[in-house]
Amino acid sequence: METEILENLKKAVVEYNCEGATSWARKAVEEKVDPIKALNVLTEAIRQIGDGFEKGELWLPDLIGAAESMQSATPILNEELKRAGGEKQTLGTVVAGAVFGDIHSIGITMVSTLLTAAGFEVHTLGVNISAEQFIEAIKKYKADILAMSALLTMTAPEQKRVIDFLKKEGIRDKVKVMVGGGSINADFAKAIGADGYDPTAPGAVRLARKLIGG
Amino acid sequence: MLKGFTRKYKPLEVVSEEELEAIHRGALDVLETTGVRVEHDRALKLFAKNDCQVDFEEKRVRIPPWLVEDCLRKCPSNYVAKARDPKYDLRIGGNTFYFLQGMGMRYVDLDTWETRPATVKEHREAMIVADALDNMHFAGAYEFYMDRAGIPSCMVMLENLASGIRNSAKAEHFGYSLDCEKFAIKMAKELGINLQGELGMASPLTFYAEVVEATFSYAEAGFPLSPATVFTIAAEGPATLAASAVLANAQMMAHIVMGQLIKPGIAISIQHGIKPMDMKRGSPRYGAVSKALTTVMVNQLLRRYAIPSFSTAGFTSTSKKIDFQCGYEKATGTLISALSGGNLHVFHGGSSFELLYSPVLSILDDDIAGWVGRFLEGVVVNDETLAINLINEVGPIPGHYLNREHTRKWWNKEHFLPKAADREVYPVWIKTGKKDTLALAKERMEAILATHKPKPLTSGEEQIVEDMLKEARGYYRKKGLISDEEWVVYLKALESS
Repeated sequence: METEILENLKKAVVEYNCEGATSWARKAVEEKVDPIKALNVLTEAIRQIGDGFEKGELWLPDLIGAAESMQSATPILNEELKRAGGEKQTLGTVVAGAVFGDIHSIGITMVSTLLTAAGFEVHTLGVNISAEQFIEAIKKYKADILAMSALLTMTAPEQKRVIDFLKKEGIRDKVKVMVGGGSINADFAKAIGADGYDPTAPGAVRLARKLIGG
Repeated sequence: MLKGFTRKYKPLEVVSEEELEAIHRGALDVLETTGVRVEHDRALKLFAKNDCQVDFEEKRVRIPPWLVEDCLRKCPSNYVAKARDPKYDLRIGGNTFYFLQGMGMRYVDLDTWETRPATVKEHREAMIVADALDNMHFAGAYEFYMDRAGIPSCMVMLENLASGIRNSAKAEHFGYSLDCEKFAIKMAKELGINLQGELGMASPLTFYAEVVEATFSYAEAGFPLSPATVFTIAAEGPATLAASAVLANAQMMAHIVMGQLIKPGIAISIQHGIKPMDMKRGSPRYGAVSKALTTVMVNQLLRRYAIPSFSTAGFTSTSKKIDFQCGYEKATGTLISALSGGNLHVFHGGSSFELLYSPVLSILDDDIAGWVGRFLEGVVVNDETLAINLINEVGPIPGHYLNREHTRKWWNKEHFLPKAADREVYPVWIKTGKKDTLALAKERMEAILATHKPKPLTSGEEQIVEDMLKEARGYYRKKGLISDEEWVVYLKALESS
């Protein structure tokens, strides 16, 4: 029974089946499958999709589809793990959003989805987020990483304002800052005092792992 | 009034009348069933007052089809972009096709192909080139070199516009950010020009507060509105081209309704840019053939509504250099935009997504613009151009046409001649240093800067521009958007020009 459940859970993720992932995760809880085993199967599934993407066999819609399927199962299994007295598995906590003045959401959506699938706990604040809103969320969720996006050159300097605000609030050393967006490059990221930059969503996941030493 | 180019024949179509009707009805359904999110209380109240179903909690507006169609009818079929020099005024709509200066955030070094923020001098020179080019009808000073060395981000658009007004007498358009449009509108009114307002809705189906506020500002000033329905297919919009057309249509019609409710009869052109996403990189594929197809569909819709089209297919390339890919992506998209009934086409100078702008590329693009424009003008067929008598008179070889008055009169009118293309014969090309088109365009730029003198501002006009900048600088200093440190750098950047 356990083997069947775990196989189907993995199958649901690699077939982008959110409903299937939810129902097999529930089944795993009902049948008292070790939640850590089930969570590991999800990680295997998302890694398989990630490998396909790296090889050029799969594409962003596959990554996002699998990530969302995984997210349909993860909270159920994490809840069970918590109930059983185990620790919720997370690589770290991320607060993500597009900066004030910027209304472009697709980049931050992609990054948030992939970070979640990679095992981060991600709090996506949305678009047009002020420095104050970022700081409030960082404090509230005790974030390890702040991920900011700005598509436009007009809004890119806002990323610096947020970093300056972190310093002012005395929490700059508590959180790693990664930046992205169409108008950003590595030089800009360095100049504004960010800890890292990557131009792509999958690259942002690698960067986040690196920043937290994972 | 600048004539621009006139399309003399039936426009290109890719969907039938029945299919177009299905796209139209689909968009009406989306607006009535799902509606749009509008994060602006004044606009929500305006929609509610005009029989829309408004959920103030969710900020959702559902628009009845009759209101959409009523507002479509209220849009004028054409309007005038008023330039500083009336000879550059443009009447936008109908079969007319105008080219508008393109965009690109940064200056590009043509040897290393690396980009950097542009200086005051570089923006000025790019505007002088823009003023000189025959086929760039509409200037767009605010939108290129958004990354300016030493200029605080809140002042960039206004500094760019001021540079445009000072260095070109052509018509200008403008965007919005942090209230800067209010300063630009005031200045434009005092100068007696208008600024077409570029307004970007977020896809899918969302109006954030800032764009709605700007829509009010431009409409209340009586300036033409140019709402944009711009998104990446399969990310911010659906994957199929037909569904993309439905979403694009719903978005543009929602903005049209908003504009017409604010100011009935306000002139509107629709800017559209619907392109696929690169599913490896998550970036837009500007030169993709599907962008050309969506362009034609939206042009068909806009022609049906008799609303001017502001097309963008071919406005940039994903190539980082001015090279083969840059040339074909820009030329093919532009040709399709023109053939399918676009009216205003953003084009000159941009490449590498929206990252780089180059006046040298503008010069090369002006040749593409001339080629496309000539194609639109078509073929003149009358007794003189048929020249039957001439053909009979010249007869077979040794007869020829080089020595005929008919040839002297017509060859130059009929045949467009590019100004920067390499047309040299091989031996001369070798002898003169094997110059390519890039080298030739650089030479043309030097010649333009040495000889072209844009119409200067009067002292009164200069004062209006300077007052606008002064007022805006004070406003942003007071708001804390220009720090003391930035202010010092800013002044230095202005002085160094």
